[in-house]
Amino acid sequence: MKDHLHAVSGQVIAIGVALLMGAIIILMVGESPVRVFMTLLRGAFGDQEKIAGTLLQTTPILICGVAACIGLRGGMFNVGIEGQLFLGGFAAAWVGFAMPLPAGIHTLAALALAVVAGAAWVAIPAYFRARYNTNEVVSTILSNYVAVLLTSYFTIFLFKRPGGWSETPPILATSYLPEIFAFSRLNWGLVIGLVLAVGVALVFRYTRWGYGVTMVGSAPKFAEYGGVNVKRQGFLVLLLSGAVGGLAGGVETLGVHHRFMEGFAPGFGFDGLIAALLANGSPVATIFTALFFGALRNGSLLLEVDTSASREIITVIQALIILSVSAQVLVRKRGDSQAGERRWKF
Amino acid sequence: MLSNTPGSPTLHSNAAMAVELTGITKRFGAFVANDGIDLAVRRGEIHAIIGENGAGKTTLMNILFGLLQPDEGSIRLNGEEIVIADPSVAIKAGLGMVHQHFKLVPSLSVADNVFLSMEIRRHGLIDHAAQVARTRDLSKRFGLQVDPTERVGLLSVGIEQRIEILKVLVRGARTIILDEPTAVLTPQESRELFQTLRSFVAEGMTVIFISHHLEEVMEVSDTVTVLRNGRKVATRPTAELSKDELVHMMVGREVSFDRRPRASLHGDVVLEVKDLWARDDRLLPALRDASFTVRSGEVVGIAGVAGNGQTELAEVLSGLRPASHGGAWLKGQNLTDLSPAAIRQAGLAHVPGDRMVRGVDRNASIAANTLMGRQHRAPWSRGGMLNWNAINQNAETLIKSFDIRARGPSDAVKRLSGGNIQKVVLAREFTDGADFLLIDQPTRGVDIGAQEAIHDEIMRQRAAGRAILVISVQLDELAALADRILVMFNGRIMGEVSGDDADEERIGMMMAGVAAPEFAAETAS
Repeated sequence: MKDHLHAVSGQVIAIGVALLMGAIIILMVGESPVRVFMTLLRGAFGDQEKIAGTLLQTTPILICGVAACIGLRGGMFNVGIEGQLFLGGFAAAWVGFAMPLPAGIHTLAALALAVVAGAAWVAIPAYFRARYNTNEVVSTILSNYVAVLLTSYFTIFLFKRPGGWSETPPILATSYLPEIFAFSRLNWGLVIGLVLAVGVALVFRYTRWGYGVTMVGSAPKFAEYGGVNVKRQGFLVLLLSGAVGGLAGGVETLGVHHRFMEGFAPGFGFDGLIAALLANGSPVATIFTALFFGALRNGSLLLEVDTSASREIITVIQALIILSVSAQVLVRKRGDSQAGERRWKF
Repeated sequence: MLSNTPGSPTLHSNAAMAVELTGITKRFGAFVANDGIDLAVRRGEIHAIIGENGAGKTTLMNILFGLLQPDEGSIRLNGEEIVIADPSVAIKAGLGMVHQHFKLVPSLSVADNVFLSMEIRRHGLIDHAAQVARTRDLSKRFGLQVDPTERVGLLSVGIEQRIEILKVLVRGARTIILDEPTAVLTPQESRELFQTLRSFVAEGMTVIFISHHLEEVMEVSDTVTVLRNGRKVATRPTAELSKDELVHMMVGREVSFDRRPRASLHGDVVLEVKDLWARDDRLLPALRDASFTVRSGEVVGIAGVAGNGQTELAEVLSGLRPASHGGAWLKGQNLTDLSPAAIRQAGLAHVPGDRMVRGVDRNASIAANTLMGRQHRAPWSRGGMLNWNAINQNAETLIKSFDIRARGPSDAVKRLSGGNIQKVVLAREFTDGADFLLIDQPTRGVDIGAQEAIHDEIMRQRAAGRAILVISVQLDELAALADRILVMFNGRIMGEVSGDDADEERIGMMMAGVAAPEFAAETAS
């Protein structure tokens, strides 16, 4: 319990420091920090439509965050969630517009292909990691660029909607993820995200597989000694992480845009990763950190209307949070240098 | 002067001494790494400092080089007292240190690395040609063969070490400290290094050389200082010493042969090791042609100075390292074909020597730690789901029966003391119903009270008919526990001694690599 409190207090301090530094920057551009933060709050939670909008932004961040948590648990740093999201999004759109199926089944088929696309995309770095011990951080980061440009190519040259923007034809209504309220595009994707977060936490805690993966991430030599196949579990964990990353893209396509377009979900993969880090790799805690980032994103829409601050200030605050969270990770890592092999300490 | 007692070297210190350390004490918390060590190194000699792992060799040299500050004691260089606040002071005073782990820039050339931070400049730019020329001069003069223009990233470890030595020379060192220099070298490279060290001495320089390998100390040094448990045992001219004297000084003469009482049990052969070879991480042969058996109800001990193949033997038997030749059969199943999980299934329990890395997950709870290795079996898991009730209850029982000082099963292992962490490992491994127990360093870093308890437990396991292999660097521990003691040296089993008439002279001889004919005859029979 004391450990939990200690961990939570660290994250709160990290966010606090980031907000404080953000406030100083807002002062420097001649705005009132209080006004900016109040506007953000109003923009994120001001009325039911705004709350629904915040939850809509939270959904992809949450699913990407869960994807990152799965990797972190097994000691794998999947920085390629953004790319997996793009491929998943495209795959779902393709099933949506090119493959007429009955309602319901259509949605499931599209989500299934999104999952497969995400897993297949991360399988390349995962294979090299397991076979040649290639650093997965570098290879997954680089795979993002290929994924984003590859989906752009598909969209512009192979599946472009005649006469329109750089986007695919709209998906059939049979493949939509149903909306929850009449007044918002908020859809069942949020429920998928919540169930996934809780489900993954339970799998880690209560299954034999989860136990093995946790040990691989936390003490790989101990896991090897105890008979866990460290390489195979590392590969599986990355594959699963990528699958969930692909799912995030599918949910975004089927629930929000109803088509695939270039740059359809900018930065959700990275926001998810940060949310997972801020949550110490805990899927349940990621629900709250994802909500925080979703609120920042949604609140910022009102920022340029009501204040003289640019909404880019949100990006600045996010960057500051990344800095203070990683500083905290480093500080704690130094205090625990005996941990040895482990590269990331959560 | 902090200490100037009669008889200490400082009284008759003179300029013929390159280095004089007096009464050096260094504590890390409650642990005393160096305890009042005096050391005098004559100018122009090769002075070896020898001792087992953890004897305090590296700490002492780090103090001399200014990387650590002593809690007590003083340092004189060439007869003059000096405070070495940091390595730059040491370098100015003519000291140079070659560390165990090299600090080179892989993308730069050899010459650029040698002159890093003290580049030769011409018109404000680096004069590469001059750097290459000076590096070449030095490397010729001392037989340190390197190509100054080659990129460091492409070179072998042996050559990297030469570059480190060149760095030290370029900085004007007259006294060179080498920390375990041969640990990373092939035998061929070691011989070349010794040539170089002799050429230093021929030019009037001084070499201090840390090692735990007897052979090379005997071969290359003029004087030996032996450290044990943070204290100096003796400083003696190498020529006056024999190898087994050296071993006794390293491991301690006061071996107490306080044997555990036992009934003799003649069980079946559980483990049979035959012609087993294995390589170490550098792919050099580390285990050579080992053959032995362990019967049920028998404790077989493996003695030897640390680093003579014991670790590799344990790793091969537990599936963590491939065998390069030969085999090991556990109840008829060849372990060398099996994964760690399958070997556990076949009946191995393993208490690893590297407890903190291999034996536990420090961040996890006691309960989660006691689950490892048995998570595939009922009642701990069914259909892939863990049964935390059973796991926690079992952990609770183990905490009681092994007297682990903890608040409960959910306590994180990192909160426990070393002895209690070892008890967690033993509790897990001894209660899994395995027929063969492989116990590497049962009581390393464990206090006396816990040692007794651990030895009691091992004897109980013996009485229960388990076949037990104990690897230890502590002779008295083996003498107390083992029915038979095998002695390893340089990867080979030098011979066997019965536990009942364990004779430290004979064991010491074999630990030093001397296989007397009668021992060889014994092993053959």
